[in-house]
Amino acid sequence: MIDPQAPSRLNRILRVFRSRTVAWHIVRYLVSIGVLLLAWWGVSALVEVVKDRAFLPNPVHAIHEMWRLGPSLFRNFWVSAWRLVLAISIAFTLGYPLGLLIGHERRLDQLVSPMIFIIYPIPQVAFILPLFLIFGLGNPVKVAIVTSALFFQILVSARGAAKLIEFEHITSVRSAGASWWQIYRHVVLPATLPSILTSLRVSVGLGMAFLFIAETTGSFDPRRGGLGSFIDSNIYSPPQAFAGILAMALLGFSLYIVIDVIERIVCRWKYVSGKPS
Amino acid sequence: MISIRNVTVDYGRGDKSVRAVENISLEIGKGESLALVGPSGCGKTTLLFSVAGLHRPVAGTIEVGDAPVLGPRKEVALILQNAGLLPWKTVLQNANLSLLLHKEFPANSADAVLEDLGLAGAKNRFPSELSEGMKRRVGIARALSTSPSVMLMDEPLASLDTLTKERIQDLFLELWKRHQFSQVLVTHDIEEAAFLGQRIVVLTERPARVKAVIENADMGELAYRGTETFMKKVRQLREALES
Repeated sequence: MIDPQAPSRLNRILRVFRSRTVAWHIVRYLVSIGVLLLAWWGVSALVEVVKDRAFLPNPVHAIHEMWRLGPSLFRNFWVSAWRLVLAISIAFTLGYPLGLLIGHERRLDQLVSPMIFIIYPIPQVAFILPLFLIFGLGNPVKVAIVTSALFFQILVSARGAAKLIEFEHITSVRSAGASWWQIYRHVVLPATLPSILTSLRVSVGLGMAFLFIAETTGSFDPRRGGLGSFIDSNIYSPPQAFAGILAMALLGFSLYIVIDVIERIVCRWKYVSGKPS
Repeated sequence: MISIRNVTVDYGRGDKSVRAVENISLEIGKGESLALVGPSGCGKTTLLFSVAGLHRPVAGTIEVGDAPVLGPRKEVALILQNAGLLPWKTVLQNANLSLLLHKEFPANSADAVLEDLGLAGAKNRFPSELSEGMKRRVGIARALSTSPSVMLMDEPLASLDTLTKERIQDLFLELWKRHQFSQVLVTHDIEEAAFLGQRIVVLTERPARVKAVIENADMGELAYRGTETFMKKVRQLREALES
């Protein structure tokens, strides 16, 4: 029976975006951007006074360069963006379900966790050379470098989140006769989503760092491209290099916003309030 | 209706295994309300979960109807301590959980129950938007949505304030009388046991064994709570627990 008074599914989703919190978020971000630009300006002016040369371009110069280099910068932005998104997607698709299984299935955890804790502390940078040897030059190796760095991060977070699921939630669906798959679908997946989205946010920062390394390593690669390569090739012209750095910040920030929006849709239960007395 | 014969249940595995219940035998008739009381951690919940099919006894048999309990069954409903609501599902989805899991129940099986419990206006809300009392009522709605013949309750009113607790106890009594299901209530609240249990079984410290059985045939009316007989049962229960 459909209740005509009931809010539609879309309305229920949009409910979490209509709150004052969203407007407050935008104001906070705008203020933060303003403060950062001012601080950048201050440091740039200070460096110029101390060193008597403009080693650090001020934000106006960098933004002007961004505008001037538009098409070339934009092309590199998209190259980096799809590499990063693809790497995060692969790491998430492999690491999330595997982490959940290890965290939730006690015997699998006992068997696999020691291996994870042996491999996880190894600096992922150590795998760059073997990855170049395996994948050669081009896009696959760059995606592989970022994926390998994020895979364990997501796997370990998912394992931890699955271990923290409240016993009562599992008992609740088990007592209603849930199958193995239904326990995962109705409890394990939704219960771990907030933690895994937090882990994804951390992964964006880590992924950007590894993407920069991947795009600047192998200078002999004719198909380098990407913001890392753009910054590397403009290293001796600071305004252009900083235009690239700004574009990297924009890429990271855009991904944070995308994850935020996804979280507000898939975890909207976290963003509702108004408890009755 | 429920037959527990020489049941022993261990909790945990291997070296960490603990004997929670030892050689308990109980018969709970059709439409009977039984309360299980005992010290904290004595094994009451383990026994209840065994009846729900969530724990397998190491010895003895449990039957519901005439069939042995081998796992959770749709005619057996379990209400958990904090209602066991899933925070990511709305009130309606929580109440309809059995429908989500087994397509055999009618699509609106929980609608009428929610309306009956005064939750129709909160159907699309999430548990975090509800008061504690409302959450417990959603837990009850979920249990009632499958029209069970056995209702198992694991300290369903723990950590509620006195007034809300009494209001929901009244609701439990009314629902039990209306639906006539067999009921097993695990509680550490002596007054709750005396108000809702036709028969009250007092268990020992872990491993749980039957220490005393107190008949409480006069229960069944809302006014029972204020009577001298009620107070006498409460005193009797207290003495049985302390002895």
